[in-house]
Order: sequence, then structure tokens, then C-alpha cells
Amino acid sequence: MIKIEGLSHYYPVRAKSGTIQADGDETKRELALSNVNLEVAKGERVVILGSSGSGKSTLLRCTNLSIRPTAGKVFIDGSEITSLPHKEVARMRCQIGVISQHFNLLEGASSLKNVLTGRLGYVGTVKSLMGRFSEEDVAIATDSLNRVGLENYTQKRVSDLSGGQKQRVAIARAMAQRSTIILADEPVSSLDPKLMKEIMDLIQEICVESNITMVASLHFLELAKTYATRLVGLRAGQIVFENTPDEFTDKDIIDIYGETEDWVLYGKRGF
Amino acid sequence: MTPLLSVRGKLRHIAILLVIVLIYWWAIEGTNTNPATLFKGFPYMADYVARMFPPDMSVLGRLIVKAGETLQMAIMGTTFGAALALPLSFLAARNVMPYRPVYQATRTLFDLCRGINEIVWALLFVSMVGLGPFPGVLALTVHLVGALGKYFSEAIEDANQDLVVAIASTGANRIQTVYYGIVPQIRTLFVGYTFYYLEHSFRAATVLGLVGAGGIGIELINSIRLFKNQEVLTTLIVMVVTVILIDRTSAFIRMRFITGVEG
Repeated sequence: MIKIEGLSHYYPVRAKSGTIQADGDETKRELALSNVNLEVAKGERVVILGSSGSGKSTLLRCTNLSIRPTAGKVFIDGSEITSLPHKEVARMRCQIGVISQHFNLLEGASSLKNVLTGRLGYVGTVKSLMGRFSEEDVAIATDSLNRVGLENYTQKRVSDLSGGQKQRVAIARAMAQRSTIILADEPVSSLDPKLMKEIMDLIQEICVESNITMVASLHFLELAKTYATRLVGLRAGQIVFENTPDEFTDKDIIDIYGETEDWVLYGKRGF
Repeated sequence: MTPLLSVRGKLRHIAILLVIVLIYWWAIEGTNTNPATLFKGFPYMADYVARMFPPDMSVLGRLIVKAGETLQMAIMGTTFGAALALPLSFLAARNVMPYRPVYQATRTLFDLCRGINEIVWALLFVSMVGLGPFPGVLALTVHLVGALGKYFSEAIEDANQDLVVAIASTGANRIQTVYYGIVPQIRTLFVGYTFYYLEHSFRAATVLGLVGAGGIGIELINSIRLFKNQEVLTTLIVMVVTVILIDRTSAFIRMRFITGVEG
């Protein structure tokens, strides 16, 4: 279970771009999230929608404290993690798998070694530096690779794999963590339409099988409606929509993304 | 047609031009740079070069031994330098070292090591530990800590931070995150720079003999002082051939490493 309470985040401003400024603040900061409250129940699959820069990635990154939020609290399974020391944050992260658009794998290493990095939180520092993973860890990693359909690619270098296969390795890594939560930041944005569906199917199957809670950000409304049990719309760092996919209307699309004539490109208002 | 530059802009350009002219006038005055001197010197140069021929091959054996010693110095200096620079470079990388004073201190140490030329370090070490190749090794080591440390720490700072975050997100601790998130990204660069600096160290080591720190440089300075011009040419040939050999070998090893690296 994930509970996010009054979460706000500001980035220090680098350039003089036309960004949103916090009112009455002397130091220039860029607002990414503003007082976000969100609860995700065990086994739910929430998809976050929002235009680029609306705060989707920041929200996902704050959830496992990859980014320390400026204000607010995050609870995982009822315990507050925002005030934990680094060591305990690492322990908490073991159960949160992360998948992203850019795969973020060790390109020069084999699929198996990449999936084994999912076990780092369970292995002693010295052993992991010598690359000595236990038989159990190797078995878990191999099983995960089998589950994502890469049983014949365990020793392949990741740089030799296709985009779809790379994302499967990343999913296997999240599985090897024995995750109870998966955070997916635009997991299919760099894949072709057919692979998008395959990868989303795979993520959904794995989440259902192991009762994993999923929070994903997606740019494709059709996919979002298909794979979400609940949709959350972000605009300028604030939640402007939160409901089941059935309740999602054309008006909500405009609320989230703003009005544009280009919707006609997508046929009937994006659908 | 509107002028491209305003009057102020033109004045600025003229001022900059004047400053450049002044700098060159100052530098030419100070160094007696004069085409006439160069032209007057041509016959003497030609004479000097002519007296180098044919190269004296009788000293070849001794020179090859000395070139070997120079290579030994370069190998040891590069090894020590790289071995010390690698751990230190993590302390000088902003994304790994959160404590500013440590980061600043390490950067300053690198600047100090790199800012002083190998031959100056060699002079100091010869005074400390005496003549021979060992002070040369120390001089190469110290300079390399500064040079490689700078490159390594910049490579660490340039490492893809998303991958680092991805490793940290698996629940890895800080040491594991650095080892699995950053080290694989800098490994190829590390090997590349180190081999490049092996060549650099050999070239530097050839002149360390001039201040008594071993290697083929001693032979060169002795031959020049004793007007053994034919030996000078042999020495230069041996130096160039060795540099080319090292260059080719290290390029080969680098290529093999980059293409054949295993995670």
C-alpha cells in the first residue's frame, strides 16, 4: 500500500525559462509537485496521465525517495519512509521495482548480471563486490528471466538486445527484487506499438500473479484506459483527475492536457 | 543598409586588437624571435644534422637497454599513478562525495600534482632519494595522480545518473551503487586514459634522465655534451621507434578491451 500525503517538490531553477514560480518566495524554484495526496491500495494499478513536465516522473521518483520531496510524507505499507535514515530507505527500496523508458541497464553486462543487480539489497557488500551471488539469488534471477521470456538470452550482452528485450530484462530485475510495488515511468514510450502492448500485458500479468501494486505513467490514453484500475491526471504538479477509466471523459482530457486542435489527429478526442 | 556593428562595437574591436598586438610585441621582444636569426642559423643547422649521419649503430645495444629502463619507469609510474588516482577520483566527484571539503581538498591535491611538471618533480625526488630510475618513477606517479585523477573524476561525474538511480532503487547500499552503477560506466574510459598515459609517461620519462632520474635521457644528454652527434641520432631513432611501438600496442589493447569487454 502506498500513501502520499501533502507531497510538494521544487527543483532549483537553472535557466530563466518561463516556469511556474512559487508565490512569495525569494529564492527562485521550479514547482514540480504541489500538495499531492494519493492513496494506492494493495494490488491496484494506477496510471498517471499528464503532459511532459506535469510532475509524473517527479511523483514516481519521490515515491521511492530517489528524489527527496521538499515537503510531505510517503507511507509504504503503513510506515512513513520520508524520515527514515539512508540504510532503512535502501531496505524499503528492495520491495519497490522501478522500470523506466530508458531501461537503465548495464549495457556491457549480461542479462543475468543485470537481473542479479535486483538482488543487491539482499547480498552482503563484500560478496556483491566480488560478484559472488548465492545459488538462490542466481535461481531467482534465472526464474525471473524465464518468466519474461528471455530464457535463451541469459548470457547475452544487454547492448546486443532489442528495445523490447531490454525492457523485459528491466522487468525481470524488478521481479528479482521480490517487489510488492512496481513504479513504471513511461515504460513503453520508446517501443513500437506492438511491443507497447506486449510489454504492458507482461507487466499486468506479473502484477496480477503476485498481487503487485503498480503505479505507472503513460502518454497513451488508450493504453492507460486498458491497463489501469484507476487513472490519475496531473497538471502543473496538481491532481486534476482521479477516477476509474470508465469515468474518464473528453472533458477530463482537456482538463489534464489543455485544449488543442490537434486532438483531431487522434480521431474522436484522443480515442 | 544598417551597419553590422555600432560605433561602440567597433571601438571594442579596435581595443581588443590593440591588446593582442601588445601581447605579441611583448612576447617577441622577450624571446628575440627574429626570422633573420633563423635564416642565419640554417647553415649551422644543416651542418649539425649532416654530422649526425650515419647513426652510430655500435651503441644500439646499450640504448635499447636504456629504452627498456625508460619503459620500465613508465610502466611502474603509470601503474602506481592509476592505482592511486582511481580511489581518490571518487572523492573528487561531486555526485559521489557529498562532503564539499573532502571534494575540494582532493581536487586541490590533483591540481598540485598535475600543475608541477614531471621534470620538476624528478628534480625534487632526485634531491630526496638520489639518482637513478626510482625518483623518475616517483615523479611520473605524482604527476599521473593529478592528471588521471582529474580525468577519472570527470568521467565519474559524467556517468549516466539515471543508471545510478536505477541501481540505488533496487535497494543497493552506497558502495554497491557506486560499484554497479558507476564503475561499469567508467571502466572503458579508465583503461583508455591509463594506456594513453602510459605513452605520455614514456615520452616524459625520456627527458627525466636530463635531471638524473634514469632512462634514455641520460644517454641523450651525455651524447650531446660530448658532441657525439652520430650517437644523438641513434638515440633519437630508438626513442621514436619505441614511442611508435608503445602507441600501436596500447591502441591494440584498448580496441580489444572496448570490443571484448565482459560486464
